[in-house]
Amino acid sequence: MASANKTINTDVPAKDIFALHFLQSLSNLRIQNPLNSPEETTDRVKKIKMAAYISMARAAGGTNRLWSRALLRRASKENNKINRFSRRKRKVTWQISSERRGRRSSNRRAPVVEEVAERLRNFVPGGGGMETSKLMEETAHYIKCLSMQVKVMQCLVDGLSPK
Amino acid sequence: MSGRRSRSRQSSGTSRITEDQINDLIIKLQQLLPELRESRRSDKVSAARVLQETCNYIRNLHREVDDLSERLSELLANTDTAQAALIRSLLTQ
Repeated sequence: MASANKTINTDVPAKDIFALHFLQSLSNLRIQNPLNSPEETTDRVKKIKMAAYISMARAAGGTNRLWSRALLRRASKENNKINRFSRRKRKVTWQISSERRGRRSSNRRAPVVEEVAERLRNFVPGGGGMETSKLMEETAHYIKCLSMQVKVMQCLVDGLSPK
Repeated sequence: MSGRRSRSRQSSGTSRITEDQINDLIIKLQQLLPELRESRRSDKVSAARVLQETCNYIRNLHREVDDLSERLSELLANTDTAQAALIRSLLTQ
């Protein structure tokens, strides 16, 4: 772990690891809340979606990756918000101060690149705090995991769809 | 949050990333994008374009997850015992 910055591990977890995590949390959802119970559909969809992202983050190495760590942290916050309403809502703004933008664009890199990179920061969990090169590295890994997640979910949908 | 940001700012001053390293990362990203994967190195795609397409791609994937979650929710609500058994059998494999 100490020399993690030398060899960047871009390995993506195997599909079945994610699938296992996901199926497990889906069946947990069923136990907690039988899916034919009169629960709001939007809530159910939200829970399934959350289960998918959490499973992906866990399968991707939990807290070893910046994006998965950020995602898990965000998810647990979200969970607290659902369970106890009393939690004070802290507003996190992802907007970049003009001062920061100015600093970044004064780099040697083209200002346009930095502008798009700022946009990218909003799409990658935890991206707000990343250096540009780190951001790109994490993005590459995030994309790989995300497309795998979509594939697994599609398989599941296909498998469950009436023939 | 602000603490982490300021730290990354400081480190960017000390360990500067070279243009080459950035270019390598851009190429790596480009290869992951269906939209740009085809293009060869000869017709060079600009870094900004790669990052732009990356944003679009991630947004599309997020939308797909949304859609699939919705469909899964419907499917799991409508199909019960038999399919639940299927999931269980997958889990115990």
